[in-house]
Amino acid sequence: MSHIRIEGLTKHFVGKPPTKAVDDLHIEIEEGEFLVLLGPSGCGKTTTLRCLAGLETPSGGRISFDDQVVFDAERRINRSPDKRKIGMVFQSYALWPHMTVRKNIAYPLRARRLKQGLRNGWVEETAKMVDCVALLDRYPAQLSGGQQQRVALARGLVARPDLLLFDEPLSNLDARLRDHVRAELHEVHGRLGFTAVFVIHDQSEALALGDRLAIMRHGRVEQYDTPQQVFEHPISEYVAAFIGMDNRVVCTYQDGRWAAAGRPIGGSELGIAGTAPVAMRLRADDLQVTPCDASVGANMSSLDAVVVDAEYGGRHLDVVLDANGTRLFARIPSGVSDSWARGLKQNDPVRASFRQSDAHFFDDETGSGASDIAEPVLNAVDS
Amino acid sequence: MTAVGVAEADAPSPVSRPLPLRALANWAGVLAFVAALCYLVILPLVRLQINAFSDGARGYRIGYTDPAFAKTLAYTAGLALGSLAIALVLGTLLAWAATRLPRSLRMLRVLPIFPIIVPAVASVVGWSFLFSPRPGYVNALLRNLPWWSDLKQGPVDIYTLPWIIIITGFGLTAFVYLFVSAGFQNISSEHVEAAQVAGSSQWGVFFRVTLPLLRPTLIYGGGVALLLGLGQFTGPLLLGRNSGIEVITTDIYRQMSASPIEYGAAAALGSPLLLFGMLIVLVQKVLLGDQRRFVTHGGKAFRSEARPSVIGAVSIIAYSFVATVLPVIGLVIVALSRFWSAKIDTDHFSLQSFRTIFAQSSVTQAIFNSVTISLLAVAICLPVGYVASSILLRGRRFGVLRTILDYVVSMPLGIPAVVFGAGFLLTYTKAPFVLYGTNWVIVLVYITLMLPFAVRMQTSAMLALGSNYTEAARVSGSGVSGTSLKIELPLMRSALGGAAALMFVLLTHEFAASLLVRASTTQVMGTILYDQYNNGTYPLVAAIALVMTAVTAIGVTAAMLVGGSDALGGL
Ligand SMILES: Nc1ncnc2c1ncn2[C@@H]1O[C@H](COP(=O)(O)OP(=O)(O)O)[C@@H](O)[C@H]1O
Ligand SMILES: [Mg+2]
Repeated sequence: MSHIRIEGLTKHFVGKPPTKAVDDLHIEIEEGEFLVLLGPSGCGKTTTLRCLAGLETPSGGRISFDDQVVFDAERRINRSPDKRKIGMVFQSYALWPHMTVRKNIAYPLRARRLKQGLRNGWVEETAKMVDCVALLDRYPAQLSGGQQQRVALARGLVARPDLLLFDEPLSNLDARLRDHVRAELHEVHGRLGFTAVFVIHDQSEALALGDRLAIMRHGRVEQYDTPQQVFEHPISEYVAAFIGMDNRVVCTYQDGRWAAAGRPIGGSELGIAGTAPVAMRLRADDLQVTPCDASVGANMSSLDAVVVDAEYGGRHLDVVLDANGTRLFARIPSGVSDSWARGLKQNDPVRASFRQSDAHFFDDETGSGASDIAEPVLNAVDS
Repeated sequence: MTAVGVAEADAPSPVSRPLPLRALANWAGVLAFVAALCYLVILPLVRLQINAFSDGARGYRIGYTDPAFAKTLAYTAGLALGSLAIALVLGTLLAWAATRLPRSLRMLRVLPIFPIIVPAVASVVGWSFLFSPRPGYVNALLRNLPWWSDLKQGPVDIYTLPWIIIITGFGLTAFVYLFVSAGFQNISSEHVEAAQVAGSSQWGVFFRVTLPLLRPTLIYGGGVALLLGLGQFTGPLLLGRNSGIEVITTDIYRQMSASPIEYGAAAALGSPLLLFGMLIVLVQKVLLGDQRRFVTHGGKAFRSEARPSVIGAVSIIAYSFVATVLPVIGLVIVALSRFWSAKIDTDHFSLQSFRTIFAQSSVTQAIFNSVTISLLAVAICLPVGYVASSILLRGRRFGVLRTILDYVVSMPLGIPAVVFGAGFLLTYTKAPFVLYGTNWVIVLVYITLMLPFAVRMQTSAMLALGSNYTEAARVSGSGVSGTSLKIELPLMRSALGGAAALMFVLLTHEFAASLLVRASTTQVMGTILYDQYNNGTYPLVAAIALVMTAVTAIGVTAAMLVGGSDALGGL
């Protein structure tokens, strides 16, 4: 286990057009911390991970494990992957098909000449930890996806690396197995406390797994914080959108008051400082749908809209609304079978309301400058 | 974490790995490797050209002012295009038929490759025993038919262009079959099933879906077959020369057998083939571009298990009978007879010919030479090919060196063996390396000829493996060489077995280049067979041809044991 420091990491790929896959990245990972790299496809997560592993040579920057520099562009230090004390779990698992599970797991011990590990039964111990002792003498081709995943994890862990790297290792599993393996992984990490970097593109899993999240955008870190902070206080519209605030409503200051989607807002006034247009972001399940004549609760604001579509989803209904040309997505309790909500039809007029504390405001043009109602948006717009 | 104390020992000084020095060493290594291959492959060709242009381009004047040259050119083109057409049609149909084999008859898949296993010299001789106008066995049989009963010879004359084309086409069919079979592996069975579900008949699926999807493969395989057709030597030499059918390669051989040797003229004659070969290699490189784009992961290979067809099995068996078994039958009959005549005298069948050849030290020495030289060349070619493939796939940073390497290792496929033979003879009879008269010159020419196969087969094996397995080993703490030895090579085992088998087979057959670089003391099976053929001692010729075939078969079997039963299928 160690403390990982990434400073100014940059990676260009030559080609047509040239890509800046990682762009001046700064991250510090505390010892034993589980860092999740989150971001849409192509934002540079895999490249960052491969730079950490030494599989990719960065174009610039510095990476150190504790006080040992493993890469430094200026001093021309570049330790090859086998000289870094890491483990890695690949998306495809990459279990060597010509070796039994036992040999696969023992390989890092042999390659790193950890004789004492071989002698003291680290292989069996690790296999036990991930619950695959019974599989030790099988070949990878004889395992199911979930079992392969666990063997890959054991192979990554067995040599007790400073840093364990994961590149979307759950994405080849089906949804139910994924939940299961994720929970196991969380548990194993809790028990062993290794330092880990975990690449993922699904936000809900990221929240569950990480001690900290780094949300990446175009090769840079957009927000680096705990899952709670990211979830509750996204610092930019990009982050807000990525963690599930699907509704975007442009709010403008007209005739001395705030309007949303070009129409005056009902209920309580939005507490935004300044007068520049802002983009409001809201989660679908923070939006309530009520009949037009229902009263708006305290500290709630509302918009008038019409129903475009309603989908039944068991416990909830997914309702698509149109507010003066702006699409809104609401996820509301489906209630009992004769509830008002179940009767929604296309073009029914409704009222969409939300709690002010659930709304997040960003500069309309740059998407930057997180500002809740409590924090006037002006500060951010200036920056 | 005392456990990893060993690894930490070299940690404290972070300046321990000065990047530039290591990179420089790598560069130097790759430079030396590429330079050595250039010396091997390019230098003989350059020397030939220098010779051809010297003395006021005397070589070109001699070669191209010959009034018969236009005819030679026409014959060459006719032979190449005609045999290409036959090979493309037959090879594709057979590969398709192989995908339609019922499960129980899967084994038949390897049959169409067999014409590669029977040496070209052997099968050409075998064909001549069957279809020679007067004493040919099949001709004699056909003359029993009422409408041919008045013929004194014929009806088939193997010594004419159409028949040379057909026989050459049979040989090339096997190559096209190999390429197209590999192409089928890349077509997902779902494409085909989708067309079947959409209401296409079997033939409709073949013409509207399968064939268009195979187009890249057909272009590539067709290009290779065309080059091989242009470089054909054995058929025209053994069958065409007496009836005045010369192609460029036999013309080169004629110049090389002149006294004194007309290197310049031979080189000049080879130039069109050289240029055309380089052009095709270039075009293929440009068309295929970066090979990494063709990595296919998983996916169901083309296999239409749903509707196996008997026609598939029947056509494969029929083709194999005609292309492989028939000429071998001819060889067996002649080898057992005392002399070759239209009448088969089964009463006097004996193994005398075999006893005779095994009693001749020249023959046994030639067999020994063939086997040892081929094994040595394969043993050198495999690691060279491995290094070259690694550089080609992972050595982007070597830039222009990598591009040069790419062309150098592809060139021998585009240039006829006869041309290389001439170049090697010229190069290695002079300083600094006078190797003529030793086996080494044959080893070198064999390595050269096999480079494209060694590299291409290992490259595709590495591509198919992808980079995940090796990267997983590197992050597990394995060094570069450890990763190669413990992970990559074992995973490539069957591909390596297949490559070794193919190369061994092609080399024990090698005839064209061997004929040029041999000395009276350094003979191989093909050359000794040719000498006996010229002497007219046909039963001995047949016996040697059968021994050659047997040696090859043993080699193939051995490779299949090493590389797993799929070694040949992996070709
Ligand atoms: N080997 C490569 N050559 C060229 N471009 C690459 C290569 N690998 C990744 N890229 C580019 O770098 C960017 C980041 O890729 P990647 O790190 O794989 O993203 P992610 O893992 O977040 O989906 C992408 O634009 C991708 O096209
Ligand atoms: Mg990725």
